[in-house]
Amino acid sequence: MMSYSVARLTWRAPAIVGGLCIAATLATTFTAEAQDAGSGQMSAFAALVTWMPFILKGFLLNLLMSVLAMALATVTGLFLGFMQISPSAFIRLPAKFVTHLFRNSPWLVILFAIMLLVPFQVTLPGGEKVLIPDWVKATIGFALPVMANIAEILRGAIASIPSGQWESAESLAFTRGQTLRHIILPQCVRRMLPPWMNWYALLTLMTPMAAILGVSEALGNTQAAMEAAGSRPEFLIPFYLFLMTIFFVFIYPLSIYTRRLERRFSAGA
Amino acid sequence: MTKLAIIAGTIAVLAASASASFSQDVQNDRFKEVLDRGTLRVGVQGAFKPWAFRAPDGSLQGIEVDLAQTVADHMGVALEPVVITSANRMEFLQQGKVDLLIGAMSDRPDRRKIVGIVEPAYWTSGPTLMAKEGVISSWDDIKGKPVCGKQGVFYNKIAETEFGAKVIAFAGNTEAKQALRSGKCVAWVYDDTSISADLASGEWERYEMPVDTVFSNPWGAAVPLEEMDGIWGTFMAGMAYNWHKDGTLIELEKKWNVKPSPWIQKMHDELQYDDSYLEN
Repeated sequence: MMSYSVARLTWRAPAIVGGLCIAATLATTFTAEAQDAGSGQMSAFAALVTWMPFILKGFLLNLLMSVLAMALATVTGLFLGFMQISPSAFIRLPAKFVTHLFRNSPWLVILFAIMLLVPFQVTLPGGEKVLIPDWVKATIGFALPVMANIAEILRGAIASIPSGQWESAESLAFTRGQTLRHIILPQCVRRMLPPWMNWYALLTLMTPMAAILGVSEALGNTQAAMEAAGSRPEFLIPFYLFLMTIFFVFIYPLSIYTRRLERRFSAGA
Repeated sequence: MTKLAIIAGTIAVLAASASASFSQDVQNDRFKEVLDRGTLRVGVQGAFKPWAFRAPDGSLQGIEVDLAQTVADHMGVALEPVVITSANRMEFLQQGKVDLLIGAMSDRPDRRKIVGIVEPAYWTSGPTLMAKEGVISSWDDIKGKPVCGKQGVFYNKIAETEFGAKVIAFAGNTEAKQALRSGKCVAWVYDDTSISADLASGEWERYEMPVDTVFSNPWGAAVPLEEMDGIWGTFMAGMAYNWHKDGTLIELEKKWNVKPSPWIQKMHDELQYDDSYLEN
């Protein structure tokens, strides 16, 4: 069906960009290298290599936060989406309110609110005290806006199914629940998958915001590493380029795959 | 973003001060809690070389981490350093997220209303400027001009209110110093200790520290306000006294290559207890 090979496309671009970033890093460090030759200071590139494990360890936390936040957002978002199409106003209206609230607030504000409202430790009924780490709070803060958007995607997908489908189901004496489960939702899933993946990519790219709140993820660790290595201005370009590269190499294949799915579904629709 | 951080910090401080005003009685809960828990959580800066900064394996190291270790050793508990920022440290202490602060905090009257700052102080520093040679000759030269600073540091307020500078506060020192190099600001306002270390590193040729510090302000360790007059505050005062008396701070200066401070030497000399009567 497809004339091009996605596998080739997927890996070539990140490789090129990664190569370019490394080349740029080397270029910036060689100029610094020349100055450093006499002073016995660590070159910017050597510093980056030294601190790479620490930065990558932070990046693992970004991935963990993004996966957990996405799982949380998907489960709660689907619930909200179903509540929004409920025939009962008691269920529908609060769900609509929550969705609009989190869809139309800045992420950073939601993040700050969660950070300040959620206690840092909870006392279990048994009297045991459990610490809630900052990254867990941040995960909840990231999940909320994505949850509202997933609810909206579900509502939109259900609304986009032609009404003829509902009517035929009714003529076959299906109940509302059966119609949703057997006829409507199976058609929604494929429509929802590309936007769902888009939101995952967006969410992952948002996770460095947690650095502002002291979560030691990739951005926070990059900044801490630059300070620890002596906070010299020539660190900025190589360190931030490296940070950009790891995010790009992770996200770009996902976005290629999403585009491919979109194309396939639009062709098959 | 920086504005948000400042607002959040302000709210946090207000909330902390509101909660602090309710508890005037001496309590020893926190101290007991630390002994029960078996770990001492100490708030330290995460990116302030050489006081508290990261090793390549991610662990925290530095002068303040070493001081925190001596406290944990005396109590017979394990040390767990917790990274704080200048904007959230006092809130963390009052909430109980950390039990003790040794986090480069200048001892100021407004801060004493919120947390229990321990006497004697363990370090001292003051605000000064780093600028291109010949640009600045006195503090008055920054009036109305952009000056780079670091978020949450009270020197920014001094540069703004006393000398009328326009402070641009950055999240990290690296970014702020790059802004100075690229000419976004005429000077970088920060600790004299940190700036003299930079100038000594040879990375800053054609830059200078053209003005004296306005004043030198001691840094204090801090315990929760309600524990200040209890075991915790009293014990910490003893710890701080010993850091001076037995030369711990002088050793740490050597260990971390900090320029020896006359103030620390003076404190070491003054805080000796005259026990010569034992010879009689």
